[in-house]
Amino acid sequence: MTADVGVAPLRRTGKRRWRWNVGMLALPVGAWLVFFFIVPFGLIAWYSFGDKPSLYQTHSNEILSLDRYFDALDPTFLAIFGRTLNIAVTGTVICLLVAFPIAYWMAVKLPARFQGLVLGLVLVPYWTNFLVRTIGWRITLSPESFLADISRNLGFGTPDWLYTSGAVQLGVVYNYLPLMILPLYVALERLDHRLLEASRDLGASAGESFRRVTVPLSLPGIGAGLLLVFVPLMGDYITPAVLGGASGSMVGQMVASQFQTAQNWALGSAMAIVLMLAIALAVIVFGLIFKVIGALIARSERVTVLDDGVAEGRTA
Amino acid sequence: MTTLDVATDTVTQAPVQPGRVLLSGVSKVYGKSYAVQNLDLDVRAGEFISLLGPSGCGKTTTLRMIGGFEYPDEGTISISGAEMGQLPPHKRPVNTVFQAYALFPHMSVAKNVAYGLRYADVPKGAIAGRVGDALAMVRMKHLADRMPAQLSGGQQQRIALARALVKRPSVLLLDEPMSALDRKLREEMQIELKLLQQQLGTTFVFVTHDQEEAMTMSDRIAVMNHGRVEQIGSPAEVYDAPATSYVAGFIGQQNFLTGSVTAAAAGTLTVAVPGATLASSVPAVTPVSVGDAVTVAVRPENVTVTGGSSAATNAIPATLMGVSQLGSYLQVVTMTAEGVKIVARTNRSVDLPTELGVPVTCSWPAEAVRVYVA
Repeated sequence: MTADVGVAPLRRTGKRRWRWNVGMLALPVGAWLVFFFIVPFGLIAWYSFGDKPSLYQTHSNEILSLDRYFDALDPTFLAIFGRTLNIAVTGTVICLLVAFPIAYWMAVKLPARFQGLVLGLVLVPYWTNFLVRTIGWRITLSPESFLADISRNLGFGTPDWLYTSGAVQLGVVYNYLPLMILPLYVALERLDHRLLEASRDLGASAGESFRRVTVPLSLPGIGAGLLLVFVPLMGDYITPAVLGGASGSMVGQMVASQFQTAQNWALGSAMAIVLMLAIALAVIVFGLIFKVIGALIARSERVTVLDDGVAEGRTA
Repeated sequence: MTTLDVATDTVTQAPVQPGRVLLSGVSKVYGKSYAVQNLDLDVRAGEFISLLGPSGCGKTTTLRMIGGFEYPDEGTISISGAEMGQLPPHKRPVNTVFQAYALFPHMSVAKNVAYGLRYADVPKGAIAGRVGDALAMVRMKHLADRMPAQLSGGQQQRIALARALVKRPSVLLLDEPMSALDRKLREEMQIELKLLQQQLGTTFVFVTHDQEEAMTMSDRIAVMNHGRVEQIGSPAEVYDAPATSYVAGFIGQQNFLTGSVTAAAAGTLTVAVPGATLASSVPAVTPVSVGDAVTVAVRPENVTVTGGSSAATNAIPATLMGVSQLGSYLQVVTMTAEGVKIVARTNRSVDLPTELGVPVTCSWPAEAVRVYVA
């Protein structure tokens, strides 16, 4: 300590000096966030505490209350909310199960020169208009489609696939699949195949190598894919509107109809807030599950507690 | 009866000898070309053998076939007396140190080293001890809890070595493990690796394109080119008596001159090259006769540079082009009238013409001249 006296402290400290010209670089993104996220979100939150005072007004904040939240949480809403959660969780899991082999095949098995092409084949439908794609499924699932013809010819009769929860489930998996494939592909593509060779070399079978090397290293991709699919899927209202009918409606439609049809912005806002809170809660639960899985993997690998060894090595 | 059995045994099949690797007639085809062609290699138990050659010579492919990452299209590989056939890598009694180390980035050093022990007959309680021993062996025990990303290249290399050796394989394969290290560290590691190998008695099969590295560590070197072994022998054999002009050029520096044989007497070959007549007292590896086109090789350290022109046998007139100090010796570059560059290495104390551009004579003894069929 005494030796330090008179020595100028190092200039580099943890604290960074604010420089306004560098800070300006964040202005466009900041403005975008303020005007397209924070302000609308604030408005929705504000409206949700008001009410719909008359037939010709959409909302009013004259009297503030939590009544709209109690209105929102009625049995119909909760039933549809339950179905939405069911479709979203099932859809996300199906997306993961379908996307993983595809992404694995693309990233690991496919020669590099074909990867761009196949990636394009995944992306082109995704870039096609969401509504058009979904209507495509309406045609395919309708009683007049070629699939229905095949069903009739095989003697199964005219199927009633359209306007069911199943149709919505199929539609969302189809619509959100690229959002799962892409992060998984990126994670698996970055995975060094030599790590798998090293694993095999050390005595692990192909399956063991997959479990101990491929899966842990693609966990970030899996997490990103789950979020990218689950969050927009919870709020989706186009897919159920086109394919779901009455028996396959989702909570996003209820919010939309409060704004567009019922003109009750206060109730719609309360429902939107409830939906957002539910999604945030689900993401937190997802995160916790992920942490637990990570901890379990680490635990299963924790063979070597070098208590004695480490201490000995450090003192040496 | 029994003696007869033993005798036939050694001739017909490899005796069971842990650590012996036998490749016979091994070929590997990629597309339309041979990566490895009809390769025979008998790696003795406990030896340090280097597969040396330029990139694309088939050395890495050979190593990968021993490790089980590729299967030969023809021929057989046996390790410790057992035929490998189509056995996958995880069932072979070998371990590999990979070129880029291939440490698992999501596991600590200790977990990396312990990885393979799960598949060995090691009781759970003994794993920690084995990992500690392996880390102590490469002097990395104090880094057991670090992640690979926190380590330097040299440290990662040691961990990769510990991870491969912790299972105590009878054969260790090393695929250019030092190519990413800087020169000084590489030289230290070479000595350390050789000592480790001697101490363990494990067979090391080391792939490299660096001839100095191969010379430093190996008991034997297999010089490879175009998927074949050109020569196999001790470092001294390969350096002093290269079997082909390719080996002569690949191992150490070499001056090459082309000419034709003018006389082939017993013990002496006479070769006419542009500007001089050369005599060789070393028998050619492939027999040559008068009139054959040949390549003549002379090592720089055998060349003596003197002032003035001379036209004696084994002396060639040249012009002094440059002199460089390379530590303990001088490198002298000269050029003959025909534009052939001749390099000499001499002791620093030697008297040399100092002016560039002056006429000099490069000469050498007949024992230093090696003749190869062109």
